[in-house]
Amino acid sequence: MAMILEKLPGLTKGLPGGELLLTTSDYFIDLGRRQSMWPMTFGLACCAIEMMASYASRLDFDRMGVIPRASPRQADVMIVAGTVCKKMAEPILEIYHQMPEPRFVISMGSCANCGGPYYDSYSVVKGVDRIVPVDVYIAGCPPRPEALQYAVVKLQEKIAKMSLKKGLATSQQEKGSRDINA
Amino acid sequence: MTQDEFFAKLQAKFPKLEKAAAPVKDYLTVRLSSKDQIEPVAQFLKDSGFDILDMLTATDLLGPVDMKGFIRQQNFNPFLPDGATPEIESAATAGYPYRPAMDLLWSFISVENKLRVIVRLEQPREGTSVPSLVPMFKSADWQERETFDLLGIKFEGHPNLTKILTPDFTVGHPLRKDYVHVKDRFDE
Amino acid sequence: MSNMMTAADASTMPELKTDQLFINLGPQHPSTHGVLRIGLTIEGEVIVKAVPDIGYLHRGTEKLAEVRNYHHCVVLTDRWDYVSAMPNNLVFCLAAEKLAGVKTTPRADALRVIMCEMNRIASHLLFFGTYGIDLGAYTPFLYAFREREMVLDLFEMLCGARLTYNYIRLGGVMVDASPEWLKRTGEFIEYFKPRLDEYDTLLTYNPIFMARTKGVGIVTAEEAKSWALSGPNLRGSGVNYDVRKFAPYSGYENYDFDVPVGTDGSCWDRYFCRVSEMRQSVRIIEQAIAKLPAGPFMASGFAKVPKPVPGEAYAHVEASRGDLGIYLASDGGISPFRMHVHAPSFINLAMLQEKLVGMKVSDVIALLGSIDIVLGEVDR
Repeated sequence: MAMILEKLPGLTKGLPGGELLLTTSDYFIDLGRRQSMWPMTFGLACCAIEMMASYASRLDFDRMGVIPRASPRQADVMIVAGTVCKKMAEPILEIYHQMPEPRFVISMGSCANCGGPYYDSYSVVKGVDRIVPVDVYIAGCPPRPEALQYAVVKLQEKIAKMSLKKGLATSQQEKGSRDINA
Repeated sequence: MTQDEFFAKLQAKFPKLEKAAAPVKDYLTVRLSSKDQIEPVAQFLKDSGFDILDMLTATDLLGPVDMKGFIRQQNFNPFLPDGATPEIESAATAGYPYRPAMDLLWSFISVENKLRVIVRLEQPREGTSVPSLVPMFKSADWQERETFDLLGIKFEGHPNLTKILTPDFTVGHPLRKDYVHVKDRFDE
Repeated sequence: MSNMMTAADASTMPELKTDQLFINLGPQHPSTHGVLRIGLTIEGEVIVKAVPDIGYLHRGTEKLAEVRNYHHCVVLTDRWDYVSAMPNNLVFCLAAEKLAGVKTTPRADALRVIMCEMNRIASHLLFFGTYGIDLGAYTPFLYAFREREMVLDLFEMLCGARLTYNYIRLGGVMVDASPEWLKRTGEFIEYFKPRLDEYDTLLTYNPIFMARTKGVGIVTAEEAKSWALSGPNLRGSGVNYDVRKFAPYSGYENYDFDVPVGTDGSCWDRYFCRVSEMRQSVRIIEQAIAKLPAGPFMASGFAKVPKPVPGEAYAHVEASRGDLGIYLASDGGISPFRMHVHAPSFINLAMLQEKLVGMKVSDVIALLGSIDIVLGEVDR
């Protein structure tokens, strides 16, 4: 499927009306991707409890097609919820690389955005975007579960703009994750 | 049993033991004079019903904490004007007896007597090691590892005295007052 | 329960080549309640060696407290046991008040008791839900969160935050509880009492749940005292140690409540202690609301930038996880000279390295869930 999608832009260039074919398939592919995003349960600290609350009875995430998957191999989006400590940074990068593309990252909470209340600590990475490319940032300490659901809606809008012409990755992913071993 | 009754019993067994000059507020605090006393005192406490070793930690009395142990950036919030979020710098208080020593603390609880005894011992900061209480109290295991990891106090006879909390690439013992943070690959 | 292949069986079948397998439980795993890694060496289904590896959430709060104002430190305390944050605030405020020699007002004490007990209910509901998920029962989680959201709504109505409250401040509490809030809390308590019986029908006497937890992870009273366990872990083994009765604080001696104590120290006993504690918390909240004294909700002994005289103080409370204590030393400056947290989850977790040896892999999760750790407290 991925090979067909990669070759598709080249194929359709020669056909009359090929661009129209691409935009319609864009719409359906993006529709499939955004309406069934399966996040990986990556709760690190306090924000994980609010993430659990957003999966629970009152604010059901399943109505948006969001089902938590425990394994990174089966997940689309990684919600980094909580403080990223230096000891945990390498596992985060490994797990990010284990997710199949297209993959997205939501940075939830102040600690994952920029270090949060631990801005001067010796053992906290000041923001998960030093390790993986982030698509949506959610502010809050911890953000309300409704804020997480709004972030997923925003990510759905971002996915709706993905286009085959530009390749399968979002502009954020073209930057690639930083190689922390360099 | 009240604190004074138990202290009388303790002093009967260890005549040279004395109460600490500045006790932890409202608790019976005794100060040891040498590290050889900790094992007999702990054994006596365990036999007299104080069989829970509740807390094991230490304080570094060197001076105010060195700001180079923290990662402070110049006004990291670009939306606020300079100086809008005043950050605290540590300062020395006049008159406080700072000295190059580590003040260890052990805390024992007796459930039946509803009593807590706190044992203090001062040791020099470098090159000392204190007998480990792991053979008597299993809870000393991780607490001694944490004290070693964060403060650098060695415990003789500990089965596995290794780092427990800080990452492998941390150089030094972070909770020491003179800890200087070495830039690692996650700090920009 | 012993039709498992052990090393002894392998020696009677010499043509069968067996080996030990090293697997990592975590740090990313749905049932480790956070980022905990246990390196398990297993032989068949039996664990031969277990090495818990913590520090994946070590944020260095003990060092950060040395450059924070006493009022700012209360913000840091919320994030240790983030599931129930009120006792964390309370213990720091008790230690700082002891250090500075400030007495709080009776109304502040009663409000603190109400908040801590409500938070105990919320925390044990989360334990109930996640313990069910750990063992494969997905439904109790949704029931538990239905009530937990109601408790969080009440907290939000009072102080504006759902999880990290920063409500209990030095000298008292942040804001007074209005009569409307007290009425709604009373209504919630009346609604909640029959729910406890509903949870019993869901999980407590479920035969599968009992088969998975009764007789698993037995901790004797001697072992529990040697490992310095606290909270329901210690009480599940039969030792009656509850800080609210051992060294009462904030007026707990005025309320009439029992402390549930288990018998044989199995996972089921620890679970049952927690569920029974919810009932006792309901009793305490009813009494506290009925006897709530009038008066100021904050004592005025603390300056805007507190500078307690040099000294040391230790205070401990019965948090939802166990005996949470803070040791504070002051040198007369604006920040604490040394703050050490006696974290119950850190000390309770240490017994895993010995207890897991000889258990089966599926019992690991049952034991780990019954200790009820929160990694924020383990790693601080």
